[in-house]
Amino acid sequence: MVRFKHFDASTIEEAVALLSKFEGRAKVIAGGTDVIGLYKDNILQKPYEALINIKNIPGLEEMKEEDGVLKLGALVRLEDIGHNAMIKEKYTALALAARYTASPHIREMGTIGGNVCQNSRCWYYRCPNNRFPCARKGGDECFADDGDNRYHSIFGDVKDCLAVNPSDTLPALIVLGAKVVTSKRTLDVADMFPEKDATKMNILDDDEIVVEFQIPEPVAGMKSSWKKFAIRKSIDFPIVNCASVVVSSGDAVEDVRICLNAVYYKPYVPTRAADYLKGKTLDEEAAETTGEAAVWGAKPLAMNEYKIHIAKGLVKQTLLDCK
Amino acid sequence: MANVEEQGGAKLVTLQINGDEHHLVVEPQETLREILVDRIGLTGTKEMCDRGACGSCTVIMDGRPVLSCIILAIECGGHPIETIEQLNSQEHPLIQAYADNHAMQCGYCTPGFVVTAKALLDRNPDPSEEDITTALEGNICRCGTYPAHIWAVQDAANKLKG
Amino acid sequence: MSEDLKIMEDEPLVRDRYIPEKFQFLGKRGISRMDGVEKAGGTAQYTRDVNLPGMLFCKILASPYANALVKSVDTTKAEAVPGVRAVLRFDDPELEGKVLLGDNTKFNAGHQASDGQAFYKGKEELAVTQEQWTQGGGRVLDGFAWWEGAPSGVAIAAESLQAAEEAIRLVEVDWEERPVVMNPIEALKPGAPPAIPELNDKSNLLRKVRIEHGDVEKGFQEADKVIQFDIRRRPYTAADAEPMSNVILWRGDNMEIWAHQQQPYDGKCLLSAVTGIPLHKIKLHIPYQGCHFGHGGNPFMHHTHGFHVISAILSKRTGRPVKTLYNRRENFYGLSQDADSNTHFKVGCKDDGTITAVKIDQIVAKMGQYGIDHFEDNTRIPNLLLNYVEAQTNFAPAWWFRCEQNHNSFCFSAVFAHVAEAVGLDPTEVALKNDGAEGKDMEYLSKFKIDHGFPDRDSLAECIEKGKSAIDWDNKWHEPGKKLLPNGKLHGIGFTWDHEWDDNRGSASAGLIMHCDGTVDILAQKPDVGVGPMTTNCEVVAEEMGLKLEDVNWRFFEETGFQMMTPDGSCNLCTDAYVSLKMARKARKTLLEYATTSIKLIDIEYPPAFPDHKPEELDVKDSMVFVKADPENTVHVSEVVKRATLNQNGTRAPLFEWAYHRQGRYGCEEGRHRLCRQGYFAEVEVDPDTGQVDIKKIVNVNDVGKALSPETCEGQQYGGAYMGAGRVMGEEVIYDPKTGVKLNANLVDYKVATFRDIEETENILVETGMGYGPYGLVGIGEDCATVVPFVVANAIHNAIGEWVDDHPANPSKVIQAIQKAKEKGVY
Repeated sequence: MVRFKHFDASTIEEAVALLSKFEGRAKVIAGGTDVIGLYKDNILQKPYEALINIKNIPGLEEMKEEDGVLKLGALVRLEDIGHNAMIKEKYTALALAARYTASPHIREMGTIGGNVCQNSRCWYYRCPNNRFPCARKGGDECFADDGDNRYHSIFGDVKDCLAVNPSDTLPALIVLGAKVVTSKRTLDVADMFPEKDATKMNILDDDEIVVEFQIPEPVAGMKSSWKKFAIRKSIDFPIVNCASVVVSSGDAVEDVRICLNAVYYKPYVPTRAADYLKGKTLDEEAAETTGEAAVWGAKPLAMNEYKIHIAKGLVKQTLLDCK
Repeated sequence: MANVEEQGGAKLVTLQINGDEHHLVVEPQETLREILVDRIGLTGTKEMCDRGACGSCTVIMDGRPVLSCIILAIECGGHPIETIEQLNSQEHPLIQAYADNHAMQCGYCTPGFVVTAKALLDRNPDPSEEDITTALEGNICRCGTYPAHIWAVQDAANKLKG
Repeated sequence: MSEDLKIMEDEPLVRDRYIPEKFQFLGKRGISRMDGVEKAGGTAQYTRDVNLPGMLFCKILASPYANALVKSVDTTKAEAVPGVRAVLRFDDPELEGKVLLGDNTKFNAGHQASDGQAFYKGKEELAVTQEQWTQGGGRVLDGFAWWEGAPSGVAIAAESLQAAEEAIRLVEVDWEERPVVMNPIEALKPGAPPAIPELNDKSNLLRKVRIEHGDVEKGFQEADKVIQFDIRRRPYTAADAEPMSNVILWRGDNMEIWAHQQQPYDGKCLLSAVTGIPLHKIKLHIPYQGCHFGHGGNPFMHHTHGFHVISAILSKRTGRPVKTLYNRRENFYGLSQDADSNTHFKVGCKDDGTITAVKIDQIVAKMGQYGIDHFEDNTRIPNLLLNYVEAQTNFAPAWWFRCEQNHNSFCFSAVFAHVAEAVGLDPTEVALKNDGAEGKDMEYLSKFKIDHGFPDRDSLAECIEKGKSAIDWDNKWHEPGKKLLPNGKLHGIGFTWDHEWDDNRGSASAGLIMHCDGTVDILAQKPDVGVGPMTTNCEVVAEEMGLKLEDVNWRFFEETGFQMMTPDGSCNLCTDAYVSLKMARKARKTLLEYATTSIKLIDIEYPPAFPDHKPEELDVKDSMVFVKADPENTVHVSEVVKRATLNQNGTRAPLFEWAYHRQGRYGCEEGRHRLCRQGYFAEVEVDPDTGQVDIKKIVNVNDVGKALSPETCEGQQYGGAYMGAGRVMGEEVIYDPKTGVKLNANLVDYKVATFRDIEETENILVETGMGYGPYGLVGIGEDCATVVPFVVANAIHNAIGEWVDDHPANPSKVIQAIQKAKEKGVY
């Protein structure tokens, strides 16, 4: 594959220093399941000069509950999250998301940090040897616009880019109210995404690394769920996925949080749809109406109207799972 | 060319493979699979997709079944690695069980399945059908041998239990 | 004077007359695969594993454009990469005049277009050159590209794969892009730009075929109902497990090739024709094959043969072995199949389900298959008409894989399913009503079976009965769109059928030698693509000779002068097993003669093992020769042959036999009706909210005539079902419509079915003995993958109440069908 330099960081500070030294021309390598693809397929016009290995940094692989907060180090493997009995019980959406990401092998290698920060899967962006120098790479057109856009955004573009965020775990983290702690700051995972920039998956600086995720203790009466739609029942990236949290008190819904992903350049939180459901009884009709509301304003492309139906359906089904 | 003097370039790495130590100068972009096959001659770890999407290149590293085609060899020092050749030389019951149960056709993906199954049996000596399917759901077989793997793995599990 | 050998003649038109009554191995379960430990243990060698001392690695430039001309090539930067040893340019003298087709195929090693392939029974209205027939795929290295990824411009050999890849990336090409043609219907419109100007700059019409039986217009008039519908099928591909590669060593006037090839001997002939090295100076090595489903070396296209020429030339130049290898993306470049077919059906039927006429109009990109053949093969329908048109496009060259009957099966299934829906009858009944052959009914077929020595069994009825029981059809079948399950999903169940194939064609030869320890080697070269030939043919030899199974071996990787068949229309077992059977019976005869004949040297006489007996008084079992009337009187076979085959000291000629068998020439034999049938059932659940399709169960019922190895047959059943599932659910080679670039040439985005994609398969073998092969076998292998896509499509229709008419039935199409059904108020 295309060559690069490789450095091992043994502390967070060292990792940051190395990233800083390369001024945006270096990337972190954790599990490696995504970033290696950049080099194998020679996707970028100018490949990142260096990879900074963070797998030797102690403490990033820990999973612990502290002061009512579930803390997941950035390097915790997806397989370990997916099969953890406590996470399945209390943070069901996240356990499901982790369990159904990719394949068992990828889950043994892949980290929660990597899954959250992963790069776009758009097949124009990823076509080898930079065959399509698109807006996401700093060019000025989106080849999916009048091309094959069956997997692309149903909520419009961001700066001419129609690619979607492909993470399975992001919608679960968002509905669970997770925060991300980086080497520079702490912020809500929901706020990790750029407003109007197609060239970055998230707002982290070039010399900033994810350290851990913090998920608050579920409140009483809270249930969460997550579902994914893909052609194959294993290995595939999501065509659409959805996570929901419902806090019930008796028959009535006290609080709802919904998040769709793989439908937009960033995870899509249909707040008004969630608001609709508050105070109502969660039944089939209400769930269905919420689903319809969640896709209100969708802008289908020539080949992806079906994704709107799937999104509606997944919202409905994940809500009903939370009864 | 290996940039041995340059910072961030090639390194001397000690790889522990099937209980043997290999002292190799490895370039950053060399994958574990390339080292295993091209440098050491352990050809059982196959290349089907070369993108971590098929399981044919599975090895066991630190007890986990992982994809050697997307692992950088330069990062593998100090992490014990087990390949299909180890199972073969130890005559692991999985191998005969696979042959007895016809759990292969062209055979190209089979070592990847066998290594993955071995990692399963190491952790779970009595797997159910669902356990086996879950463990193997990331291995692609173009010949479609999937159902036979259940019989083969259960057969091997029974032999291991004695 | 041993027993008369009982062996069937070549090209049997009758059932095998000499089937033993009892079997020791054939038909038995529990026999371990002889190649199993090697394959499971990772010691089986594939072409990709071959590594010779001093070997160079070669990469070929793949065109980034689907239709372009090379104006200039600058390799200066590429040549400066350390480790580069040779650069082959398209305009180098060694490549002058090097094409794979036409005059170069002097050994008749290829398919000759338009000159009577037996199954092209139609009257062709437009003759084509062989090059046009392979849609421009028969090249080596050119200064133009006719599809994205076409080998063009340059090939580079270097010390390492890393260096070769780096060098290829540094080649600077000045391309002249030309308009891209990606739709066959558009390609045929006046004014359409030429897809391959170098072959035809006036028209994109590739081929036109018309096949007619009876009078379809009359058939439509006789019908109670006439239905019309359209189906589009998108391109899909083999996605073989092992990406293609070769290693070629050309030293002096001798050449060695290691190749991932399905028909390697043809490939050797081709290489001989192109390079001028005669056949006896080319040694072919065929390691285990990581899949071949029909296209790997069949026919003669760049992707599978042209790169041999490149490796050969570079090896000659450098004096070193050269390995050219494709990565996974490059493996997608050369081949797809039925690349975009647009089929219009018009069908006439009676209210009782009898079909009176079928008319199929087809426009296909590149090359497809007709669609009418199976109506000819296994129905009584008298009136058939096919109008078939192929258009040149900038898709990758198409060829068939698992199998060439895809479109035939697909059209067959589609017609029967639509007729069943139109008349409101159980599709299994509609099938039985129309069963027959060549327009004749089951009464005629009954007489044919009896006249030709076959048991008179109703294969389709037996398959249907078993399949219905397995899937609980009588309780589960319902009108389309009418069954919503408690879990909120729509239940669907489907059926389809076809004839079983293929016992109809091919030829092969092999030798057999018994070593002085009594063990036997089968001497023949054959590519093993996974269907278990090693074990099965050893079983035949062991069975027929009376040996222990472990005393027979077959290592088929090297040349012996004999070639056995590879799956080619899944007819290899028929032909190969006849070869094994024939030579084994001859060898047994010779063995028993040796057992009773003295060895006379000049002044010594060695008595035989059984001096007082005649060959017909002896028999062989478990590698022991014994006297039939006195079974305790027994010796090991090695006692009979121990003085043969010894270095310098052999006292008699080795026990060596060989056999040749021809099952039929390429194509279907006239007058050899298809007698065995197959039936498929599928059960699905469709989520009306999301369109998700769960394949709950597939029941494969195949009348294989006789199952020599039941596990191997079942492996083809469930294996084919998984391939069929992938095909119906989402296997599609996706091209960018504007540039013709492949968007999903990798195994993430090209959807090969995973373990989870079918919940359950049930595999039922029926053995009516009505095959033309040895022991009454037909064969199995291609069919399941070929037929399952549409049985699942039928089940999806049964669930939703609306057809998916554009395949694969990916989520977009399923949801569109659900929306249509909802609008119509189906549910």
